[in-house]
Amino acid sequence: MTRIPYRRPEDMTERARELTLERGNLNVYRALANAEKVFTGWMQAGRDALTSPTLSRRLRELVVLRTAYLMDSPYELGQHHDIARTAGLDANEISAVTSDSGWQTDHFDPVELAVLQLTTELLTTRGVAASLFDQVHAALGAEATVEVLMLISRYAGLALMLNALDVDLDETARLPSIPQRTAEG
Amino acid sequence: MTRLPLADMDQQPERVRQFIERRGTLNVLRLLANAPNVFGGWAEMVGEIFASPTFSARLREVIILRVGHLQNSPYELAQHVSLARTAGLSEQQIEALVGTGDLDAAGFSSTERTVIDTVTELCTTHRLSDDTFAAAHALFGDEALTELLMVVSCYYGLALVLNAADLEIDAVAVLERKA
Repeated sequence: MTRIPYRRPEDMTERARELTLERGNLNVYRALANAEKVFTGWMQAGRDALTSPTLSRRLRELVVLRTAYLMDSPYELGQHHDIARTAGLDANEISAVTSDSGWQTDHFDPVELAVLQLTTELLTTRGVAASLFDQVHAALGAEATVEVLMLISRYAGLALMLNALDVDLDETARLPSIPQRTAEG
Repeated sequence: MTRLPLADMDQQPERVRQFIERRGTLNVLRLLANAPNVFGGWAEMVGEIFASPTFSARLREVIILRVGHLQNSPYELAQHVSLARTAGLSEQQIEALVGTGDLDAAGFSSTERTVIDTVTELCTTHRLSDDTFAAAHALFGDEALTELLMVVSCYYGLALVLNAADLEIDAVAVLERKA
């Protein structure tokens, strides 16, 4: 049961309302909108991440699901269990990536495995071995590596907020797909 | 030794360069500027956190130092220890926040102590018990409590990025507090 009241979109600033409605008016946004002085910037950071073409949607959802699992966030898992299906992950892959060790199997290619290993090591130890980091960096390049780290960062931090506020998973509403940008702009 | 190249400022899009010029050419900003597609939104988010009047600079630094310590982030601690001093925290209080001193003996106010306990429980267990939530909520209400969570979230996540990249602490540059 969500521990604070939801903000209504009609009570938000215009920009906050636009950003919230574009993303399906989900419980997460209506709860975090209580922090009205910092909500818009947080939403814009999310929009940049969602619309960046740097990472494939498949790799993004793998990182998000792994993070949600390790941070023990029922809300993130509930949303992204469904979103991941629209990004090309099948049910077996989703259950593998949301298990303790089931992801270390032949479901994933070597780059995906390295990224999942990095995500796991970072969230469980707060650091990453140099050899593993270099492996991901060599495979993805600097830009995509930083985006992967920013994605882990965002969903780890969000999991803390969702858990602290005990935000209820939306009954049926899921984050809609927003078109990716074609270039930096 | 930083594991990624630090972006060259001359190569940055205008809005990235402007943000960095306002804050100082910190290694953290040059690290994140490797990802120009997401740098702008992240910068706007951090800018709002620092511009918000909801928390005093002192209370904000209490939150950030505690998160930096619990996330084992040498970079966050190096930058924010000096901000914490400027914001009025004593050496004894700073040591207590970063785990080398006694929280009970450091002379924190009851509000600061509630914040420290809330942040500690959230970062170490990833949730808040009913009692801890109730104490923080009674103190801050819906808006400020959610904003506190936003600050924790931001620095908890950033520490992961910094630790993964093993970012070197700036030799001289210090975060500037221009509006």
